[in-house]
Amino acid sequence: MGADRVSSLCWLAFGLLCIYGSVMLGLGTMREPGTGFFPFLAGCFFTLLALIVFVRSLVPGRGFQARISSLWEGAIWHRPLAVGILMAGYILALERIGFLLTSLVVLLIMLKGVEKFSWWKALLISILSSGSTFLLFHVLLKATLPTGIFGF
Amino acid sequence: MDFMGSLITGLSVACEPNNLFFCFMGVFIGTLIGVLPGLGPVATMSILLPVTYGISATTAIIMLSGIYYGAYYGGSTTSILVNIPGETASVITCLDGYQMARQGRAGPALGIAAFGSFIAGTVGIIVLQVLAPPLVAVALKFGAPEYFSLMVLGLTILIFLAEKSVIKALMMAGVGTFLGTVGLDTITGVARFSFDIPEFLDGLGIVPMAMGLFGIAEIFFNLEKSIKTDVTDAKIGHLLPSLKDWMESKWAIARGTVVGFFLGILPGGGGVLASFVSYAVEKMVSKNPQKFGRGAIEGVAGPESANNAAASGGYIPLLTLGIPVGVVQAILLGALMLHGITPGPMLLKEHPDLFWGVIASMYVGNAMLLVLNLPLIGLWVKVLRIPYSILFPLILLFCLIGAYAVNNSTVDVAIMLFFGVVGYLMRKFEYEPAPFIMAFVLSPIMEQSLRRSLIISDGHFGIFFATPISLGCLILAGLLLILAALPAFRKRREKIVTEAEDMG
Repeated sequence: MGADRVSSLCWLAFGLLCIYGSVMLGLGTMREPGTGFFPFLAGCFFTLLALIVFVRSLVPGRGFQARISSLWEGAIWHRPLAVGILMAGYILALERIGFLLTSLVVLLIMLKGVEKFSWWKALLISILSSGSTFLLFHVLLKATLPTGIFGF
Repeated sequence: MDFMGSLITGLSVACEPNNLFFCFMGVFIGTLIGVLPGLGPVATMSILLPVTYGISATTAIIMLSGIYYGAYYGGSTTSILVNIPGETASVITCLDGYQMARQGRAGPALGIAAFGSFIAGTVGIIVLQVLAPPLVAVALKFGAPEYFSLMVLGLTILIFLAEKSVIKALMMAGVGTFLGTVGLDTITGVARFSFDIPEFLDGLGIVPMAMGLFGIAEIFFNLEKSIKTDVTDAKIGHLLPSLKDWMESKWAIARGTVVGFFLGILPGGGGVLASFVSYAVEKMVSKNPQKFGRGAIEGVAGPESANNAAASGGYIPLLTLGIPVGVVQAILLGALMLHGITPGPMLLKEHPDLFWGVIASMYVGNAMLLVLNLPLIGLWVKVLRIPYSILFPLILLFCLIGAYAVNNSTVDVAIMLFFGVVGYLMRKFEYEPAPFIMAFVLSPIMEQSLRRSLIISDGHFGIFFATPISLGCLILAGLLLILAALPAFRKRREKIVTEAEDMG
C-alpha cells in the first residue's frame, strides 16, 4: 500500500477520535464557546485534510506514492528499533533503580549490543558517561535525578 | 528612553560580573552543543532550565540566549569540517563549507562564518533595539481578535513556506493545534484529554515534545545509516579571510542579515528557514551560480549571517507581544514565567533592566563568540573526532535528563520517546514537524483569543474583520493560501525542493 494512503488513514482515525472526544466535552454555543469548541474545530480541520490526502492517494501519480516497504529499503532499521526499546526500558526502570545504575546498564547494552563495542570498551564508556553526567547534573548543577532503591 | 540611554542601561546590566559570567557560560555551552551533532539548543536549554531557578530572571535569560545564538556559531564548524550539521540551521552551510574545507580553505570558511555571524548578529541586535519600542506601542493596541488573526497569519506563512505538500503542512498545523488543547481549559477549568494523568493537566510539555520530534527523531534517522565522522585532514590554516574573500562575501553577509532578521520575526521562520532562503537568494543573484555547491564562499557567508540575524529577530515578537516564534522562544518564555515575569507589551515598562540587559548582553555575547570561536576551533575539531557511536548514547542520555528535569517526571521522558517515534515516522512519510510544533506552541493563545473574541462579539465572526490590524492579517493570510495553491507557484516550489534534495 502507498505511504500516503496508510498515513492518511491513520490521521483520519485519529481525527475522528479527536472529534468524538471534543463533542463529549461540550461544544457550547457561538456566544459562549464550550471546552470542546476549539479542539473540535482543530479536529475537523485536520480530519478533512486527511480525507483529501487519502482521496489524492487513490489517484495515480498524485501525492507520495512510495510503497511502505520501500521507505526502509537499505536502512539498518533494527538499530533505531533496538534503541527505542532500550529507551522504553530506561523509562520504566529510571525511578525504581535510580539514574546512575539505569543509565550505566542501558548505555552498556546500547554500546555492546547495538554498536558492537568490546565488553571492556563498552563498560569503560558507560561508567565514564553515566558517572560524569551524574556528577555534572546532580552534584554540580544540583538537578534532581531519581535515586531509586539504592539511593543513587 | 533614547537609543544611547537604553544601550547604556542595558550594558550596565550586561556587564555586571555575574551576568558576564553566565553570558560566557551560555555562549561556551552553546558553541559546544552546536558542534555536537544531535544535541541542539532546545535540549540544552531545557536541561539547564531548572538550574536557572537559583539566579535572577535577567541572568537566566542572558545565559539561555547565549546558548541559543552560541549554537549557531558552533553549528557551522561541524558543517564545514565534517559535513554534518551541528544543528539544523547549519545544514545548508555543508554544501559549500565542506567543499571549501576539502579544497584546503577550511580556515577562511570558518573565519567568514564567524565574522558573518558576528556582523549579522550585531546588526540584528541594533535593529531589534531600534524597532522594539515602537512595536511595543503598536502591540499595546492589540486585543483578542488582533492576536487571533496574527496567529492565523503566522501559521499561514509557515505553511506557505512548507518544503513539501501544503495540504500535509496544513494537516500538521491542525494536529499541533489540537494537541495544544490538552490539559486544563483555562477559561472553564475543565480537564481535556488528560486521561487522569496528573502531568497532562498542565498540557503536553513543549520541551519533551520538541526534543522528541527533532532530537530523538534525528538520532533514530541517523542510526539507520552508518555515519562515519570524517573530519577533514586538510590543514585549517589561517582563519582570517583574505581581501578577495571579503569582497566576495560582503553583499552575501548584508543580504543574509536582512533576510535572516525578517524571517526570524515570523512564527516558525527562525534560523533554519533564514539560512535556506539566504542560500537560494545568493545563488539567484550570483553571476556564477554553477560554483555553488563547489566551495563558493558566498554560500557560507550568506546562510551563516542569516541564521544569526534570525536569532535576534525572533526576540521581537517574544519581547513585544509575548508570542514565541519557535521552540527556543517558547523555552525563553517558560523561563520568564518561572520567574514570575510575563513577556509582552508591558515588559519594557515594568522590567526595563531585563529588556535592555538581555539585548545588550547579546552584543557582549557576540563579541565573546568571535574571540572564543577562532582560537578554540582546534578544540572543537577534537570534539568532532569522537565517533558518532560514542556520541549518540551520550546525546540520548542528555536528552533523557533534559526531559526528566523539566518536571522531575518520567511521563515527560515517555512523551519525548513517543514524539521521537512520531517524528521519525513523520520524516519517513514526508510530513513536516515545523508546522506541527509551531501550531502546538500557538494553540493556547489562539484558543483564548478566539473564544474571548466570540464572547465579546456575541458570537459574530465579523469581529475579526472589524479592525484594520485584524483584517489586514486575515487578508494577507488568505492571499498567501491562494498563492500557495496556484499551479505555477506549486511547480516552482517543487523544482526548488528537488534541487535542494539533489544538492543534499
